[in-house]
Amino acid sequence: MIELLSTSALATVQDLGREGALRWGVGTAGAMDPLALAAGNILLGNADDAAAIEVPVFPFRVRFAADCDFALTGADVDARLDGRAVLPWTAAQACAGQELVLGLPHRGATWPASRAYLCLAGGVDVPAVLGSRSTQLRGAFGGLEGRPLRQGDALRAGAAPNEGFVEGLGLVPPALALPQQRDGLPALRVLPAAEYLAYTEASRAAFWAEPWKITAQSDRYGYRLEGRPLEAVATIEMRSHGIVPGVIQVPPGGQPIVQMRDAQPSGGYPKLGTVIEADLWRLGQAPIGSRVRFIECDWDAALAALDEMQHWLAEARRWVGLHRAR
Amino acid sequence: MHADDIRRIAAWLAATDIGLLELRGPGTALRLRQDGGDVAVEEITEAAQPALVVQAPSVGVFLHRHPLRTNDLAPPGSTVAAGQVLGLLQTGPLLLPVTAPADAVVHELRVAHGTAVGYGTPLVALLPSNPN
Repeated sequence: MIELLSTSALATVQDLGREGALRWGVGTAGAMDPLALAAGNILLGNADDAAAIEVPVFPFRVRFAADCDFALTGADVDARLDGRAVLPWTAAQACAGQELVLGLPHRGATWPASRAYLCLAGGVDVPAVLGSRSTQLRGAFGGLEGRPLRQGDALRAGAAPNEGFVEGLGLVPPALALPQQRDGLPALRVLPAAEYLAYTEASRAAFWAEPWKITAQSDRYGYRLEGRPLEAVATIEMRSHGIVPGVIQVPPGGQPIVQMRDAQPSGGYPKLGTVIEADLWRLGQAPIGSRVRFIECDWDAALAALDEMQHWLAEARRWVGLHRAR
Repeated sequence: MHADDIRRIAAWLAATDIGLLELRGPGTALRLRQDGGDVAVEEITEAAQPALVVQAPSVGVFLHRHPLRTNDLAPPGSTVAAGQVLGLLQTGPLLLPVTAPADAVVHELRVAHGTAVGYGTPLVALLPSNPN
């Protein structure tokens, strides 16, 4: 069991997301960086659907009320367990009474990232709702009482895999193993969407050629970007329709919004494109104030990218499995 | 060791095809090198010998620093606690910790950052930390 000592807001319990509920108007929620969550679960020998704590605001402090194996992935937050350094993307062992402190993310590091994942052996034990333990903030269910965590909250770990734990075992972060940049900025592949051709040629060219800044109005619901305003050929009026995380909407002002994991399941703004599923984690980790680039991609390339991500996970699972079996 | 003993061992060595022999006794350590019947004797100075050399626990690429970071985990001269990570061995996507077996001061890193090493390769030389 762990107890939250910090008051820092917006940490939530998340798993890989609540798939298959969009037809009831229930968004997917889930980890903003599902690769980091999956990697943490792999290091601990957890089930793929085990839930963890997503931490977007630092410092973040917890106390272990019982001995517990854990893994830290996502942003490098200079973590310390009772003062002893815990390296990013590694598994470690905590004893009852020990305190884990996650500090500020390293911004000058080789991978500027904004969210850390604290995974517990056995996963965070909260009830699954509609097949997922992810916190659905809009509907106020899932996770811990459907809300962000707060000081004093206690979270239990599920039944832990009882052998094979390797202290200090780590993974090379996929941001380094599967890098993707344009002109030194993180780059995201995008499929043009239904209203793509409703924007001027100059706007479309600029969308691919220029950097986009992630504004302070960016969160788990959506990332509002800032750049050269996108101009429609003519005024576009649409009825609300179904949307999914990754969809890039363009409100009348021309500054795009990328829907993220807590996006509502419908919207009425025109859609310029969709950040492909395999790259959404890169955006989920991009810090506020940083800039990103977009790369045009087609359906086949999007599927190939998903295969590449699955391959990385399969290899990580295989190597960790070999090592844990010793 | 008596000088006569060393002379006798040198004579035996000259009759073999052994090129290098290290002799260690209380208070002395000698290195005997043989080249075509000529045997040279030199003293091994113990002062420069570190107390402990940490070896590679597995094959892999030895890293002085975590791939997300720009600073080394345990640069020479740094004080480390037992269990502290001195470097990492990368095999495939895995990072395995190379840890200090005792409280110590890092003397030197024996292998450059990014070098592929085999099992048992000496990686980090440690000196006992000053009890004061």
